[in-house]
Amino acid sequence: MTEAAPISTQRPLGGFVVRVIAWLPAAFFVWYFAAPVLTWPAAFIVELVARAGFGDIVRGIAQSGSTLTFATALQPGESGAKAGQITVGVNMLLYAYGLPLYAALVLAAREPHWGRRLAYGYAALTPFVAWGVLADFLKNVAISAGPLVASQTGFVAWQREAIAFAYQMGSLILPTVAPAVAWVVSHQAFLERLRRVVV
Amino acid sequence: MLRFFATFVAIQAVLFGLELTPPVQQVLVVPWTNALAALSAWLVTVFDPGVTATGNVLRSTANGFAVSIEAGCNGVEATIVLVAAMLAFPAPWQRKLTGLAAGIVAVQGLNIVRVISLFYLGQWNFDVFEWAHLYVWQALIMLDVLVVWMVWVRLLPRRVGPGGRPGGPAGGSTAPASA
Repeated sequence: MTEAAPISTQRPLGGFVVRVIAWLPAAFFVWYFAAPVLTWPAAFIVELVARAGFGDIVRGIAQSGSTLTFATALQPGESGAKAGQITVGVNMLLYAYGLPLYAALVLAAREPHWGRRLAYGYAALTPFVAWGVLADFLKNVAISAGPLVASQTGFVAWQREAIAFAYQMGSLILPTVAPAVAWVVSHQAFLERLRRVVV
Repeated sequence: MLRFFATFVAIQAVLFGLELTPPVQQVLVVPWTNALAALSAWLVTVFDPGVTATGNVLRSTANGFAVSIEAGCNGVEATIVLVAAMLAFPAPWQRKLTGLAAGIVAVQGLNIVRVISLFYLGQWNFDVFEWAHLYVWQALIMLDVLVVWMVWVRLLPRRVGPGGRPGGPAGGSTAPASA
């Protein structure tokens, strides 16, 4: 299919919304069961950034299913006391649910080259998934774990504020806004045609 | 297009940053969230009298099940996204204000449906509740924001260019016209 599907002149936006809602269950189904694979690139980015930027805190990262586990050099009690190291598990699905939304929007638009659009969107959204996962980990060790652990991270006040903001942004805004923006950017022609069909 | 997205991101970042500050939380977000719980309880009591609201918590007096409306579930972030998208898009101010009023009602209206549906899903099956809460409703609320914005953009008067051909949106000059 190389030509754009014509937009119905009767309730074109309504038809699009119905198709999005129809595609969402299938998109969520595929996303959930393919999550270990789909989230692997995000996990890879997280590992690169964590080792480069937080190598003194992060000792290792392992993906199991859709959970990314960070092994840290941090201890649960007083620094220097004999104790195990803290591990932090992050559910990557919490930051990746924009992928099925984006897929449903792309498939509902019925534009040509939808496979390429899916691939580009997936590539564009993956860094945002990585953002959310990394911010979640940092929030856990720098804020949620309490002062004994936070003091071992070496983060100062403004850095903890930045982590809190990055976490809130990565959990409340980016997972849903990023796919919507990616879709708008990649479907300008569709949106323009939709505008022309004035009921 | 670039200017639209840059403005959109900037407005969104500012509004979201403001939302997180203690004064805005205290004066706007917390009272709004509590009002949302109260309104949800009031609506539910039309068909289920055994529901009360205390602060941001919606509770069943029959079985004790309760849901707490937290950040991300009070519709404030979705509203911020909508506000940023409408303010960033080139359009007459009157249209922006009208769109914001109607759009906020649409977004918050669906959010009340989300809160009430989660309240009952949680009593029925907690796994389904978690799925709907963490993934499905988040996507649906953003879809609502996107559709409201698309409807609003569609209803904007189009500029008439040279030769009587439609141009971009009224009051605008850049390509978000395509959006």
